[in-house]
Amino acid sequence: MIGQNVPRTDGVPKVIGTARYIDDVPPLPGELWGVTVRSPVARGVLQRIELDPSFDWTDVTVVTADDMDDEHNVVALIEYDQPVLAKKQLRHMYEPIALIACADRDKAERARAAVKLHIDKQEPVLSIEDSLAAKHVVWGEDNVLKKYEIKQGDAEAAFQSCELVLTGTYRVHHQEQLYIEPQGVIARWFAGQDGQENLKILGSLQCPYYVHKALKKTFDLPDDRAHVEQTVTGGGFGGKEEYPSVVALHAALLAKKSGKPVRMIYGRKEDIEATTKRHPAICTVTIGCKNDGTFVAVKVDCLMDGGAYVTLTPVVLSRGALHACGAYRFQHHHVLAKALATSTPPNGAFRGFGAPQTIWAIERHVDAVARALGRDPHDLRDQNLFNEGDTTCTGQVLSVSVGGRACLDAATKAVDWKARRANIDRFNEKLARDGKRVRRGIGISTFMHGAGFTGSGERRLKGKVAVDLTPGGRLNIRSASTDIGQGTETVFRQIAASVSGVPFEHIDLEVPNTTKVPDSGPTVASRTVMVVGSIVGKAALEVAERVRAEMKDSGGTFAEAGDRLLKRVGGTVSSLQQYEPPVTRQFDEATYTGDAYPCFSWACDVAEVEVDLDTYETRVLKLWSASDVGRVINPILCAGQVEGGTLQAIGWALYEDVVWRPDGSIANARMTNYIVPTAVDAPPFETILVEIPFPAGPGGAKGVGELPMDGGAPAIASAVEHALSHELKWQGSLLPDLPLLPEKIFNRVRQLES
Amino acid sequence: MTGVAGILDGVRFERARSLDEAVSRVGALVSSGEPFHVLAGGTDLVVESHLAPPSPVARPGRTILDISSVPELSKIEDRGDRIRFGGGVTYLTLRREPWASRIPLLARMARDVGAIQIQARGTLAGNIATASPAADGVCGLFPLDTLVGLRSASGERAVPLTEYFTGYKKTQRRPDELIAWVDVRVPARDAKWAWRKVGTRLAQAISKVALAAVIEIDKGIIQYARFGMASVAPVTVSLPSVRALLEGRGVDVDLAALDAAVDRDVAPIDDVRSTGDYRRHVARAVVRELTRSLTT
Repeated sequence: MIGQNVPRTDGVPKVIGTARYIDDVPPLPGELWGVTVRSPVARGVLQRIELDPSFDWTDVTVVTADDMDDEHNVVALIEYDQPVLAKKQLRHMYEPIALIACADRDKAERARAAVKLHIDKQEPVLSIEDSLAAKHVVWGEDNVLKKYEIKQGDAEAAFQSCELVLTGTYRVHHQEQLYIEPQGVIARWFAGQDGQENLKILGSLQCPYYVHKALKKTFDLPDDRAHVEQTVTGGGFGGKEEYPSVVALHAALLAKKSGKPVRMIYGRKEDIEATTKRHPAICTVTIGCKNDGTFVAVKVDCLMDGGAYVTLTPVVLSRGALHACGAYRFQHHHVLAKALATSTPPNGAFRGFGAPQTIWAIERHVDAVARALGRDPHDLRDQNLFNEGDTTCTGQVLSVSVGGRACLDAATKAVDWKARRANIDRFNEKLARDGKRVRRGIGISTFMHGAGFTGSGERRLKGKVAVDLTPGGRLNIRSASTDIGQGTETVFRQIAASVSGVPFEHIDLEVPNTTKVPDSGPTVASRTVMVVGSIVGKAALEVAERVRAEMKDSGGTFAEAGDRLLKRVGGTVSSLQQYEPPVTRQFDEATYTGDAYPCFSWACDVAEVEVDLDTYETRVLKLWSASDVGRVINPILCAGQVEGGTLQAIGWALYEDVVWRPDGSIANARMTNYIVPTAVDAPPFETILVEIPFPAGPGGAKGVGELPMDGGAPAIASAVEHALSHELKWQGSLLPDLPLLPEKIFNRVRQLES
Repeated sequence: MTGVAGILDGVRFERARSLDEAVSRVGALVSSGEPFHVLAGGTDLVVESHLAPPSPVARPGRTILDISSVPELSKIEDRGDRIRFGGGVTYLTLRREPWASRIPLLARMARDVGAIQIQARGTLAGNIATASPAADGVCGLFPLDTLVGLRSASGERAVPLTEYFTGYKKTQRRPDELIAWVDVRVPARDAKWAWRKVGTRLAQAISKVALAAVIEIDKGIIQYARFGMASVAPVTVSLPSVRALLEGRGVDVDLAALDAAVDRDVAPIDDVRSTGDYRRHVARAVVRELTRSLTT
């Protein structure tokens, strides 16, 4: 089963249209439509909410912060700083202030317009620089949401004896997840058998237990009175990690006050405007090396824009910091990472989770060092890439499933790097001779991504999965890991089938619902297959073994023995497994030393591009990605993850840009203006799955979800620089900042020429 | 017909079956003062109606007059040196034979409009009526000496497309008029033509700059040089200075003079898709590239 291209089990219902997304769930009796009244300013003080007296409010439910006490008016996550509804201080454009529900959707929209907000405007803080300078203090005492320092050796001292020390500053921008299905939930309160109030949330979400936690806090509910169930979810990419808690709390507040079920589904504009995005970052990187290219010391100073509230920023910043030194061997490391608050909507989880930001910086800087040394960017990477036995910035010795070199070698061979680069150079000379206005280029990135939660995260989390025996010798997997399009449903069945020996067709999967499934931990951090999948296998095996013991004792088929066993024990034959992380060197969260991850996934991306010298449009002609994600469970689904994630990286590099107006609002909150690549823009992909097994993963699997987001952008930038190197001369980095929009390249070239 | 639940509640739908019926209904709606929208392909109307709830289009009491089934509007008359396309002709039709070989510029342009779904619904008249300066369809028609046929209950008149737009999303069309047809000149068989769209991506993209051109050369002299350029001014521009520079001259063009002519003809701005500086640069570059291709 493992390693086979089993067709995805959710495929047919999605293709023929029977899969029910949240908007497809039939209306409940009496259901209302909920909408949100949002702040029209990026920063200000709310003085009064006025309901237009000429509007008929009789069939409209209105909820404001006054409907909760302050203790419960929080979105429970890491810090309890974000209110469910703003009461006084408004901290970002689009911040929720009031909620409206009405049976008539059109009237609900009109009611939203009939709420008058009286606000004293304040000057917002809209950039990392302004926040750092504490132009205004918008969070805590100094706008600093979180900071980390990672230190191995003495980088500053080591620079003194390096033959080349080069510093560069690199910037990355917001990115919108742009899942196809916007945020949406249905909330309903109902009386349990004991007469007590229960709350049920149905929704498009990644992490049922995150929503569960938020509901329990705001509504003072015990575990068993908050029920969160995932509906078929049309994409998440991190965007449905923490934000669904906000939508669920809002719908639940309206449902509680109105006494009716409330459906709340965002339109695309509202979804782009109000929900989380990738953290922008500014990273200053210094590399010290010898003249022969041997890296000696690295220092990274990383600033991230967390937005208006803490949300998941500390964790994003942590992952960013831990990946800031790249996949290279240094003797000395120093990373300073700081997240700052601004008056923009909170930035949050997005595939890669901080790593694409810092990997952009280190990869761009390795190219700049190669340029300074007159070296081929491939060869400089080859020289310094981590090998087994090398030590990372936290002092972690890479000892298991270290696939970086295998990926680089596989990509080099597939691309035929040296020959191809030389051919491109010759081709560009011909293009120039013929007066053609395009040039080609090829670029590379090598990178790694820590699999699973950082440090002792998994040990604290204690993720659980249950597998039950059901009639007919079937197994039912109960897990809170959600399939949001990535294929979890299918690969969990493959793992269970492979480990237990029960046929794939005899394995079912419970819909994630906090009342029915144990907390497997969130569906994040490239952990679903490696972490949760490993206990899916264990639990399935344990149940199957019990049935086989029964067969051995009393005979019959597996199904007969299973049914007999069920009857004898009175209905439940089940295995509940808790994840036990492999024993590694303890990670010390105070000093950021030790084993940050049980293992890393590795990759090498190579991009070939064509750049128009008149319009500075870049087309990716081909993208090779050699990825080591351990043993591959389902090659087609896995390649789909690699190609999809890489395409998302291409989007971030070349097309996507959140356009902010000076007042802190978004100018392009539409799919016509927030530009993601289409199928026509997607290059042919050559995906090479390099399988270096990780013994603690199911069948040897590691994580794949985030890795492909990390390396696409720097490989493309490297290729664009190569293409333009025939026309331009520059020092350091030609393209230090994302996105590589034609307008930005045009400005940069003009700046160089003047 | 009643509205689509949840989106168009209370909106009145009417479907015209002939052009006469359509224009008389439009005339009646205009004189009654009732708010109405004309629906052809729907690629603007349907998109706009979702923009800002409560939707400005889908308000109770409004009328949507559907003209997509008016047979006259999908007629095409080939008159040899000119072709008259009904206003309801879609971009997909332009991509197909025999029109694709009669006017390859329009076929090539049509390929870049939205994507196949938009091309199957979107109409020539719809693009002209919406009057966006970014419209590829309008830009593609500009070099073809195009006349726009405006029809009302009181008669029909023809307006040159290059004079049709009077300001940003403003046109010569009266509210009681429908665009019945567009009448285009078929370029000479050996005419050079160009279509260059610089968009935000390769499909489903709005132009940052687009250039359409038809150039006819006889004995080394440019006899006919007509252009359309999108997204560089409040209206689609015909590059009159460039035309004046080229017509009656040889194909060896002074590039500095050409750049200066382009500069006189465009007035690009910064917006959500691009910058004025970039657009000006690209406008010059694509015109230069076009003239370069004349000599090769």
